[in-house]
Amino acid sequence: MQDTSPAAAVRHDKVAWQRIAATRKALGRGFVVLASLVLVTVLVVQILHVSGTITPGFSDWRPVLYGYVLWSVALGVGQVMARGERGLRALFLLPAVLFTVAVVIFPSLFGFYIATLDWNLSSLEGPHFNGLSNLYALFHDDYYWNALGNMIFYTLSVLGEYAIAFGLALLLNAEIRGRKFFRVVFLLPMMLSPVAVSWMIGKSLMEYRFGPAATLARDLGWDNPAFFAAPWIARFSIQAMDAWVSIPFIMIILLAGLQAMPKEVLEAAKVDGANGWQSFWHVTFPIMLPVSITVLIIRIIFKLKLADIVINVTAGGPGGATDTVSSFIYRVYRDRSNVGYGTGLAIFYLLLIIVFLTVLLRLSHRWTQRVS
Amino acid sequence: MKQQEHDQHSLMRPDRRTVLKGAASAAALGTTGALGAFSDLALAQDDLRAKILQIPGVGKGAPTDSDWQKVGELCLGPTKAGVKEGEFKGVELSFMGLNNQNLHNLLFRGFLKPWEAYTGAKISWIDLAQADYNPRLQQAIATGTVDFDVLEMGAPFEGDVCGKGLASEMPEWVKKQIDIDDYVEYLKPPVGTWNGKTYRVTIDGDCHNFNYRTDIFSDATLAKAWKDAGNTSEWGMPKTWQQVQAVTKFLKGKKFKGQNVYGYLDAPKPWGGFGFYFLGSRATAYAKHPDDKAWLFDVDTMKPRINNPAWVRAIQDVIDALPSEPADQLNADPNTTGFQQFLAGIGSMIPWWGDIGQVAKASDTSVVGDVVGFDILPGSDDVYNSKTGKWDKLASGPNHAPNCAYLGWGIYVMARVNGDAKKHKAAWSAAAHLGGKDLSLWMVMYPSGFQVHRTSHSNIDEWVAAGYDKKYITSYLNSQFNSYNHPNRAVEPRIPGIFQYYSIAEDELTKIFAGKVDAQTGANNIAAAWEKLTDQLGREKQIGLYKASLGA
Repeated sequence: MQDTSPAAAVRHDKVAWQRIAATRKALGRGFVVLASLVLVTVLVVQILHVSGTITPGFSDWRPVLYGYVLWSVALGVGQVMARGERGLRALFLLPAVLFTVAVVIFPSLFGFYIATLDWNLSSLEGPHFNGLSNLYALFHDDYYWNALGNMIFYTLSVLGEYAIAFGLALLLNAEIRGRKFFRVVFLLPMMLSPVAVSWMIGKSLMEYRFGPAATLARDLGWDNPAFFAAPWIARFSIQAMDAWVSIPFIMIILLAGLQAMPKEVLEAAKVDGANGWQSFWHVTFPIMLPVSITVLIIRIIFKLKLADIVINVTAGGPGGATDTVSSFIYRVYRDRSNVGYGTGLAIFYLLLIIVFLTVLLRLSHRWTQRVS
Repeated sequence: MKQQEHDQHSLMRPDRRTVLKGAASAAALGTTGALGAFSDLALAQDDLRAKILQIPGVGKGAPTDSDWQKVGELCLGPTKAGVKEGEFKGVELSFMGLNNQNLHNLLFRGFLKPWEAYTGAKISWIDLAQADYNPRLQQAIATGTVDFDVLEMGAPFEGDVCGKGLASEMPEWVKKQIDIDDYVEYLKPPVGTWNGKTYRVTIDGDCHNFNYRTDIFSDATLAKAWKDAGNTSEWGMPKTWQQVQAVTKFLKGKKFKGQNVYGYLDAPKPWGGFGFYFLGSRATAYAKHPDDKAWLFDVDTMKPRINNPAWVRAIQDVIDALPSEPADQLNADPNTTGFQQFLAGIGSMIPWWGDIGQVAKASDTSVVGDVVGFDILPGSDDVYNSKTGKWDKLASGPNHAPNCAYLGWGIYVMARVNGDAKKHKAAWSAAAHLGGKDLSLWMVMYPSGFQVHRTSHSNIDEWVAAGYDKKYITSYLNSQFNSYNHPNRAVEPRIPGIFQYYSIAEDELTKIFAGKVDAQTGANNIAAAWEKLTDQLGREKQIGLYKASLGA
């Protein structure tokens, strides 16, 4: 029988390590050092070339990418050659780590760098470092703070979406006729692109002149049913459209939770004489709390990125009433080509979201524990 | 009339000597048969123009790809004269342009298909939506990743592209092939040129004209109500912005043919910077003084004029008019006012580019084709003089200053083809084919996204022969050409980042129109943001480019 104890594994590693020839180890390390040198040289040459310090260089940054790929391969090969069995094990993880570094960590760090630049694409002088000026400008930018204020409204509205979604999930979990049909139908809005929703609902259904929603509103006595002309009505209209798209997502997660819930608990509550509301409030809701917290956090993350419907339907108006941080960044970046400041706004928003969600997770964790 | 125009006419005035010289030359040509050949050529060209204008025929449905190809094929003559069959075999060109309303690049594809078949070149296409165009272009420029050889571009971007040496200078043979001297006056240099070099094949002429409802302004009931309201002037199409305001307020709550009737339609919702043109159209009559070329910034300092009394008055006009416009007007962008409101029969006055006149008759969605009239933008009883800081009343009457907004689309060849003579010729040949004189006539007569831009487009008979109603087309063309040729036209500055200025202004204007700040405060905010942007882009360079663009 094979010995799988930790001590045996250590012994095995030691033997494998001792078996690797010194020349092979040196060759493996040499590979890594050589590839590192190539990468660093290409990088330094390109930086010096771009900054105008030296003339030789490459027309673009692609050689640096090739250098990184070469270095990654050399690192993998070097690991196996120098560390044998342990290197082989590292090879299982290394591609994922290197890929994450390339597409997540490096772009994030590069984003921080861009955020410190004064870089307008139309400027003939190109980008130049301006330290924390973008951050300073951000604190004095009324549009940004107005959009953040609107985000508070949109984020709080998630609670309303959650309540509706919970109600629908309970209904679809009950033994009602056509349950499967309704489950599919209720999911349809989620499958639609928000851009399509903007046009179908915001610009057609809610259109002031011929939209059915406007016609209905007139029939109900609202003389001028303009859904996007007054600040609060516009805000609620945008929120309603976004909710229509998103409620099915919350609903389907909650429905999955409800279906996984042990039936015995509810039956026990029934035997104890609990009515429907008591069963829900004292049994279903607490049991569903972890699922609810998860879906709320995910929904809030999505909500904080709300932009498409706003851009298409109101362009942030009237007077910034419906503007979101993302739609504002979109204008700064896209319409005004202000890359440095736009990135600064995005990075600051990212940090705010991280802090906000960390606090939210901690609070929800404590609350869940207390209720449990 | 401008002094240089007067001088030019004096030079061209025929005297006895030149007439005799001309007569002798004509006689000599006649005896050698050359005159006959020229006449045949002219007749053949007339035949060609008449022939392409029947494809598919005005009022016979929207043209299709097959029509575009037929027109492209028929207009290949100038290309064949300078390029041998299969001469560009192996050449691959990349063409970047728009796909707005399924026009622009889609038309170009059709027009260039016969050109590709004849020359042997192959074109790959980069199609962009209007909103994607500016960022895509700016990114390509800023990151040095220009991946296209031929570019459809508006003149306002010339500062960004030609100013950075990214465009290829137009060869002389192209100027001859496209008959560059046929362009209307305002599209001649400095437009299309940079530092004295020509870069652009113009395929469009843009200015805002005034579109109005003839039935509303000739309605007897409304005329009576107008008089009953105590107005001393006659009921009719407003000629000044003061009258536009009065009519808009008067029409509030009135009915016409059983429907609510509205006056002027403002477009307060941002539209990627393009919405600012519509405030500009209200402002030019107040802000563009005949003695001053500048109207948006001071020439020597780039100090914004957006917060001067003229612009603030225009902004205040919008604020005052909005309560008399449809209830949801605050959420209307120019696309809404033009295509969902005016063409659908809502509102009686809008400024727009020439598209409205092109579409009003041809589109199935338009209900105003028979009741729409055109004019240059209204004037103003007084005009602000930035130099004296006072409002002037001109002896000549109301001040008119047509807003030459955007200066039209053009075809540009990028400098990256310069190193390859064959590719260079191919790219310019493609551009010249698209900007050909005969092809341009077809483009301005049919839905294409492009409007009249050549003097030869003013031949009413050609339009009537193509199927247009004479009265309608005369009114339309007059509104266009009288704007282009107006001595006090307000020409847009071709400076880098011009749309950034507009986009910033749109954001602040939406706050003003929503009542969050008053006109003067909002205008001051725009001016402060513009100053900041000018500093970011480099004030001295911007001043230099601004002066160059004004020809100052």
